[in-house]
Amino acid sequence: MRTVFKRELAAYFRTPTGYVFIAIFLGLSGLIFYLGNLRTFSGDLLTFLAQLRLLCMLLCPMLTMRLISEERQKKTDQLLMTSPVSLGSIVLGKYLAAATVMLITILLLNGFSLIIILYGKLYVGEWFVGHLGFVLQSLAFIALDLFMSCFGKNQITGAIAGFAANFFLWLTDLLAGQVSIGWIRDSLNFVSLYARYEPFQLGQLSYASILFFVSFIAVCLVCTFRVLDARRFSEGGAA
Amino acid sequence: MIDIQNVSKRYGAVYALHDVSLHVEKGTVLGLLGQNGAGKTTLLNILTGYLAPTTGRVLLDGADVLLEPEEARRHLGYLPEQPPLYDEMTVREYLRYAAALRNVEKRSIPGHVDEIMELCGLSHMQHRLLSHLSKGYRQRAGFAQALCGDPEVLVLDEPTVGLDPKQIVEIRSLIQKMGKGRTVIFSSHILTEVQQLCDEVVILHDGKIKTTLSMNDEVDSSQNINVLLTVAAAEGSIVSRVNGLEGVRKVQLQPSRRDGQTTMLITFHQQNEPERRLFALLSGLSIPILHLSREESSLEQLFLKAISE
Ligand SMILES: Nc1ncnc2c1ncn2[C@@H]1O[C@H](COP(=O)(O)OP(=O)(O)OP(=O)(O)O)[C@@H](O)[C@H]1O
Ligand SMILES: [Mg+2]
Repeated sequence: MRTVFKRELAAYFRTPTGYVFIAIFLGLSGLIFYLGNLRTFSGDLLTFLAQLRLLCMLLCPMLTMRLISEERQKKTDQLLMTSPVSLGSIVLGKYLAAATVMLITILLLNGFSLIIILYGKLYVGEWFVGHLGFVLQSLAFIALDLFMSCFGKNQITGAIAGFAANFFLWLTDLLAGQVSIGWIRDSLNFVSLYARYEPFQLGQLSYASILFFVSFIAVCLVCTFRVLDARRFSEGGAA
Repeated sequence: MIDIQNVSKRYGAVYALHDVSLHVEKGTVLGLLGQNGAGKTTLLNILTGYLAPTTGRVLLDGADVLLEPEEARRHLGYLPEQPPLYDEMTVREYLRYAAALRNVEKRSIPGHVDEIMELCGLSHMQHRLLSHLSKGYRQRAGFAQALCGDPEVLVLDEPTVGLDPKQIVEIRSLIQKMGKGRTVIFSSHILTEVQQLCDEVVILHDGKIKTTLSMNDEVDSSQNINVLLTVAAAEGSIVSRVNGLEGVRKVQLQPSRRDGQTTMLITFHQQNEPERRLFALLSGLSIPILHLSREESSLEQLFLKAISE
């Protein structure tokens, strides 16, 4: 797993993908910070972080799209899948590489917290809860997009599948309001990443939400594993 | 070492492989022959665990490739039809990665990779990006990757395709060298290559194994010996003279390159020293022999026979 992880992480920074992702993410969040905080002299970190969800939804597919599709397109998966490495550790290695790029970005994102410290007041508790929530949420998006990218025949369709899923999860709240059938509403509410994030946005540490995000990630990874495993049976190579 | 048990593979409605069983002993070099679309690549992909068979299973050294991947593939090196190269890596980085995947001990990786690059003639290319390599060198890098971790089982899908003649010879001699003490399976449609390198040949046609033969007894079992002869004489009576020779079954005239020369393919019954008989005849007639060789074309005949059935 370490081997796969290291190669994938290096690949992000060997190709423009990693830099572009970080640059766009920080650039756009800078804009949001300017509009939401600087111009209004607000030191509200939690609202700022909550607004970054949109960036996650838009940009996470970019991080995951190459992990699976590119290997299939270039047939490099033939090396991986015939090595003495289990499929589980391949999936995990790839996921962790994407997650690491995300974490690096979030680390750099703390520059904005620094500005708040310099010119205002930052509560450590708020900082911690806000970031915990944001990390969990973005890792969940990455796991979901990794899973969705398995269904694309190439990187682009993989990314589009990721966008679609991200937006669907975003819409679940609105949908749930419209649905009168009890169990559908309940299940829509259950998977809503938005609702699960809410406690963090209010500065509350919610164990239920933490548990949800962690299990959400686990389920996505297991599903990715299943799809890739099943592919051996259903087709041959880059179909 | 390799045990393929009743493997079938179905793509939608078509069977790419149909109930293929094959047992390969340790240390054998086995050639897989077949036309385009015969199912060679499919078989090798299943053998290495990249694809799952629709039915049947594959054991490598007693371990199921799909159920016990780590165990079964520990000693496996695979060069797929299209070399699996990561464009953004250099040759050296790539081979180090492949070695790490195959669980080569971290400390010994650099030396191991150096050795392999030396063997495959890649040393002077080691800092090039894989995306910048020519086709032949890409093939070599793929081959080198298969050698990482010093695998006991080497599976090569058309290893010499796309190489220039010099490289073909080099890769062949590399296969020969690697074949010592290892189990090698490679596919090809070049008969001479298979003949040259293999202990055993399997002919695959329409997803079924048509013939399995051992190269050692293959020559004995075929009843005929073919001799290719070129003499410095016009056709004239020479053909009938040769035809009259004891043991000759058939004489086929071949197109000859120059005037005043005759080339023919002579089929003898299984018997001793056809060359000696020909020499006796021709020296008696004082006709110079320009070329005399045994044609090992029996494989070609077998191949054509197998796929026309
Ligand atoms: N992914 C796929 N989906 C559907 N059919 C396939 C697929 N891959 C291979 N086939 C079919 O399976 C058969 C065997 O293909 P395979 O690639 O194994 O042939 P091959 O012997 O390697 O041929 P070649 O000499 O051209 O490399 C062919 O008829 C091919 O069309
Ligand atoms: Mg093939």
